[in-house]
Amino acid sequence: MSISTYTMPLGPVHVALEEPVYFHLTVEGEDIKNVELTSGHVHRGMERMAMQRTLVKNVTLTERVCSLCSNSHSFTYSMVVENALNLAIPERAKYLRVMAEEIKRVASHLFNTAIQAHIAGFKSLFMHVMEVREVVQDIKETVYGNRMNLASNCIGGVKCDVTNELLDYIMKQLEVLEPQTDELYDIFQTNHIMLTRTKGLGLLPTEDALALGVVGPVARGSGIARDVRRDSPYAAYPDLEFDVITEPGCCVHSRTMVRLREIKESIKLIRQCCDKMPEGPVCVHMGKIPVNEAFAHSEAPRGEVSYYIRTNGTDIPSRLKWRVPSYMNWKALSVMMKGAQIAEVALVLNSIDPCVSCTER
Amino acid sequence: MAGFLKVLFRNLLEGPSTDPFPLVPETFTPDRLRGRVVVDADLCMGCGICKYVCVAGAINITKREDSHTITIWHNACCRCAACRQYCPMKAISLVPDWHSAHPQEEKYHVLEQKTIPYQPCAVCGKMMRTVPSATLKKLYVNNHDVDLEHVRSICPSCRQLEDARRSAGLPPAAPEAPAVEQ
Repeated sequence: MSISTYTMPLGPVHVALEEPVYFHLTVEGEDIKNVELTSGHVHRGMERMAMQRTLVKNVTLTERVCSLCSNSHSFTYSMVVENALNLAIPERAKYLRVMAEEIKRVASHLFNTAIQAHIAGFKSLFMHVMEVREVVQDIKETVYGNRMNLASNCIGGVKCDVTNELLDYIMKQLEVLEPQTDELYDIFQTNHIMLTRTKGLGLLPTEDALALGVVGPVARGSGIARDVRRDSPYAAYPDLEFDVITEPGCCVHSRTMVRLREIKESIKLIRQCCDKMPEGPVCVHMGKIPVNEAFAHSEAPRGEVSYYIRTNGTDIPSRLKWRVPSYMNWKALSVMMKGAQIAEVALVLNSIDPCVSCTER
Repeated sequence: MAGFLKVLFRNLLEGPSTDPFPLVPETFTPDRLRGRVVVDADLCMGCGICKYVCVAGAINITKREDSHTITIWHNACCRCAACRQYCPMKAISLVPDWHSAHPQEEKYHVLEQKTIPYQPCAVCGKMMRTVPSATLKKLYVNNHDVDLEHVRSICPSCRQLEDARRSAGLPPAAPEAPAVEQ
């Protein structure tokens, strides 16, 4: 370390979100030369907790791993248990699961976009994006009964059937949402403040993104078309039409653009689910629990989330392990932050949409 | 910038998008909102599946000789609706009542508590939980010759005996007959 550089601690409280990450920044003046992360502030021992609870209880437990991608966790957990139990779920349940997942994805992406505006100092835009997000929150509250935890999934299908009137309601709300997201896309694409703050910032070149194995919108923002929904389709995704969005910019701005364009794709997916929704039962019984192990993965709003389970013939799993997208993505921060300024740390951090509570669980 | 100015002018014209609660009596509350768990005492059989699936440990069932009590502690409940999903009697439902604020001293008393009294068996006199008529109707949907009110008034063991007697062509046991050793 030369005389002109020094180490600056940043965090762990409220760097970008209300979640703790502790950065050790080696800075030269205002410029960041090196980044090291310390984590583990919100470790709750959830994997151990899951090994002390029954398979049914763990659906609710895994839903509480994270707030914004809560549905992805219970969805993937239900899938992994169904794989271990060799359980085939009804067609209608597959569509209902995809619908809930995409509704959550829209809300999650809008939330991240709003926080991006908030950190850039554009408070009115932050409020506006949150207001647009309320349309989706209303859908969640009306259809599933809660604004965050949908409690939609259960082992063998879904708990919450969606009536035809509610499908019409969702379609009606999407009519309201779609022009507003188009407008948001234009604002983020052309607004001077947002462009000055985010364009060309936090570069993650495609080679680095590949080497670090980043997932989700971070990978797609660096031009890598990686999406579990397309690469290894699950639930109803094989029957549905959607595009994998990529942006070549590799910067904070292109990651935001990926999210905003993905909202459009999600709206398309929800519409297809409403149109194609098959009739029939929504849940099947669990049956006997064998000694088995299984794996399942899915595309959460932040990228690939994967679950591994080992059952021992009892109703309590002997091992449950999951890997969340932020774990892969936050290693990329050391590449993104190099050369950035201290004031830009929060923006770069938020661009990977970090979920600390998932990662440290 | 023009894009956002449009939003600003629209917001000026349309006014706030929030409800002025609590100045208005009600705010946006959909019918399916998971607000509070309620138990239908007419349907609860006290089987305990709700207790088995409750991850929050919010449900307790106390069984006594002549009744059982189901208690749901609202402060522990996480509204995951697993109890509603798995209840075989559909005795548990969630109502959209989200007015759950209460003083700290009352925190252990914010409960959904129902005590379900048992009836004596018309044959042996043992206390038992009578099966709701609607459930019996469903169970005996293909047996039109069964007197549902009679079936309802006797306990499962007496029902088995009666069935055995009927199959063997014997007359049904009289109500005052002593309890048969199993």
